[in-house]
Amino acid sequence: MALSPLNRRRLANFKANRRGYVSTLILGALLLLSLFAEFLANDRPILVQYKGDLFVPVLRDYPETTFGGDFDTPANYRDPLVAGLINQEGRMIWPPIRFSYQTINFDLAVPAPAPPSSDNWLGTDEQGRDVLARLIYGFRLSLAFGLILAVASTLIGIVAGAVQGYFGGLTDLLFQRFIEIWSGLPQLFILIIVSSIVVPGFFTLMAVLLLFSWTALVSVVRAEFLRARNFDYVRAARALGMSDVAIMSRHVLPNALVAAVTFLPFILSGSIAALTSLDFLGLGLPPGSASLGELLRQGKDQLQAPWLGITGFVAVAGLLSLLIFVGEAVRDAFDPRKTFK
Amino acid sequence: MTAPLLEVKDLAVRFGDGEDAVDAVKGVSFALDRGESLALVGESGSGKSVTALSILQLLPYPRARHPTGSIIFGGRDVVGADVGTMTGIRGNRIGMVFQEPMTSLNPLHPIGKQVGEVLELHTDLDAAGRRARVIELLQRVGLADAEHRLLTMPHELSGGQRQRVMIATALALKPDLLIADEPTTALDVTIQAQILHLLKELQRDLGMALLFITHDLALVRAIADRVCVMKDGLIVEQGPIAKVFNHPTHDYTRHLIAAQPKPKAPRTGEAEAVLVGKNLRVWFPIRRGLIRRVVGHIKAVDGVDVTLRAGRTLGVVGESGSGKTTLGMGLLRLIKSDGEIALLGRRIDGLGQTSLRPYRKSMQIVFQDPFGALNPRMTLGDIVSEGLKVHGLGTAAEQRTLVEETLADVGLDRSWSARFPHEFSGGQRQRIAIARALILRPRVLMLDEPTSALDVSVQVQIVDLLRALQDKYGLAYLFISHDLRVVRAMADDIIIMKDGKVRESGPAADVLGAPRDPYTKALLSAALELKMAPEGAVVTAS
Repeated sequence: MALSPLNRRRLANFKANRRGYVSTLILGALLLLSLFAEFLANDRPILVQYKGDLFVPVLRDYPETTFGGDFDTPANYRDPLVAGLINQEGRMIWPPIRFSYQTINFDLAVPAPAPPSSDNWLGTDEQGRDVLARLIYGFRLSLAFGLILAVASTLIGIVAGAVQGYFGGLTDLLFQRFIEIWSGLPQLFILIIVSSIVVPGFFTLMAVLLLFSWTALVSVVRAEFLRARNFDYVRAARALGMSDVAIMSRHVLPNALVAAVTFLPFILSGSIAALTSLDFLGLGLPPGSASLGELLRQGKDQLQAPWLGITGFVAVAGLLSLLIFVGEAVRDAFDPRKTFK
Repeated sequence: MTAPLLEVKDLAVRFGDGEDAVDAVKGVSFALDRGESLALVGESGSGKSVTALSILQLLPYPRARHPTGSIIFGGRDVVGADVGTMTGIRGNRIGMVFQEPMTSLNPLHPIGKQVGEVLELHTDLDAAGRRARVIELLQRVGLADAEHRLLTMPHELSGGQRQRVMIATALALKPDLLIADEPTTALDVTIQAQILHLLKELQRDLGMALLFITHDLALVRAIADRVCVMKDGLIVEQGPIAKVFNHPTHDYTRHLIAAQPKPKAPRTGEAEAVLVGKNLRVWFPIRRGLIRRVVGHIKAVDGVDVTLRAGRTLGVVGESGSGKTTLGMGLLRLIKSDGEIALLGRRIDGLGQTSLRPYRKSMQIVFQDPFGALNPRMTLGDIVSEGLKVHGLGTAAEQRTLVEETLADVGLDRSWSARFPHEFSGGQRQRIAIARALILRPRVLMLDEPTSALDVSVQVQIVDLLRALQDKYGLAYLFISHDLRVVRAMADDIIIMKDGKVRESGPAADVLGAPRDPYTKALLSAALELKMAPEGAVVTAS
């Protein structure tokens, strides 16, 4: 793919920020790994060879009877009986962590939460579920939630800010008053009310958070558009005969984009923090979902099991720090006046 | 023989360290006696302001350093002097006036307090004594009705009045030396003449030495006894005014003196009328009260007739606020305007912005500030070709050829098309802006002060370029400027505007050679001879 000189320059600037570049690589690798969480941490084998046939339990359910068992229900491969049947006639290839985020380890030597052991590398939580497995799934969920929420609120925020700033006048006045009233609504209470009416799922939670998070960027983008709409090069573009939409997207938006992009890591980490804190309070995702906030809550409740709190803290702090470093590098990349020795 | 008041010896100024170090001043020496007036003249980047600021030790130390040199003021070396010593000198013995009167006064304090502040710091006068002295000072700098103006806020004053207040502040403690850094550059020509006159009079009456920094040779001739010509951090020539101007020894001085736009012979006679505006009006409503009722109008342009002819230049001259830029914007339908406008015989005044779009390519515009007129995020190639893309003219290959042709027309290298605006100088950027407008092959080009942000020698190049392009493409220019020397070099016909109305119009030779209107006369003498108009003719300052 051929890059324009501008984008080549941006890429060079991005790479010149070593810390941000390395953070991006780490974050990218973690994201990629967590996308394949089912192959990393699962309570079913990746591959089963049974009587010469191949089965892929990660992707499909097989009844127990397939492997010579008694019941017509999906096979539980952690059951010693089923495992014994399969191992007699074939082999199983397990993921490195033999637990999914909901798998309860019934073979604990001590009452849950159990400290780290060769079975549960980061110990188990209060219900006997593997912490590492929950961490991997929770990381994926948090990042996906944060990314979708941040991108959506950025898009809405940019469009709203652009319209207000570029057209100004009455449009701007009415819109601004609306936002002031809107952001005065108590977000947390609305969330509590909503979660008492419906069980909040991934998308209902996101929709409710989005209702309020889009205003974060409006003021910045609006200010940039207000400033830029009287720039000489914007007036020159008008004299060239460009349409309003073209001027906004070509000449004014790039100015606002730096502000937006500078804000993006904060919005992203804010979104993740919002989800984490809602889970922490028990208002977030339905019970049983893998989430970093729920891990932190358990850490708070179970101070005698420090592996819970420490794991949660390191995961959240690390994720948020990485995002900020990436954001710094992105900001450098879009800065037209940035010069490097 | 006594020692001079100020002696600068082999002064150097360096910013930064190591490889990035920039030598702004590379060893300049000059001396200034009591009561003498010395001008430092040079183009931007020549180090003249940095030299002046080092006398007051106002540079951003320690990033700025003086590798060599000394500045002896009143028998003491101020280089490296401690803060206490400098506080005693600044304001007290050396006063300074800066270029931009809009930002050098604190907008939140009344002017009486700002002038009085110096007295409060440096003298033991009581409140009543300070008040009396402030009134005396404001009267001295010619601010009418000074007693009642002590509580005036800076935004209530015009640029010229603010500069007078700045001068009053600088003079408060009867300094031995007044440093004036481009004090008139931001002002209108008639005000400029008044301020120059004031400075000269004050200098004579108070026996001050004056260090006058400017880029404008014409001012030097009007105010200074001696002149130092600076280039790239060095003084290339210094001496008495008469000697330097009449017998310059250095090439650069000769170049500067010669680099004034040459008046041209205006063309007369018939030519095709390209853009005609009749009874053009741009009124901005003044709204008051809860329901924003329209109570009146600011008549920025009020009933102006203009005709632009192919291959000819119409110069629009006026001071700031006269409505000359608004006239151009209204004529090109870039702002809302009333009145008949006809482009190539077709009425365009009733058209909406969308139906106007096809006509846009025939009317283009070049702005004053070459730094703001180009999108800093686009490359030279993208900026110039943008108009073609907007109007969908030609294939990609044809567009490329046209861009290269246009770049050659304005004297830019076509290999530069991947560069960004910040990599170009002011003059080059103005060429890019011209290329952007020119590539659509317009019939009308509005030039809004295209040279006033540029150095003198660059101004001449741009004027020459504009003249050549006009001859090549038969362009009609609407040339808006406050600088009569440039207008004289460009215009065939002239309109003199004041307060939104035409004061005088006609062929350039008639208007400039034999002005009939008293305002025109005052403007011409202020601009071309730096003479102050007789009292009453120019009532713009107060």
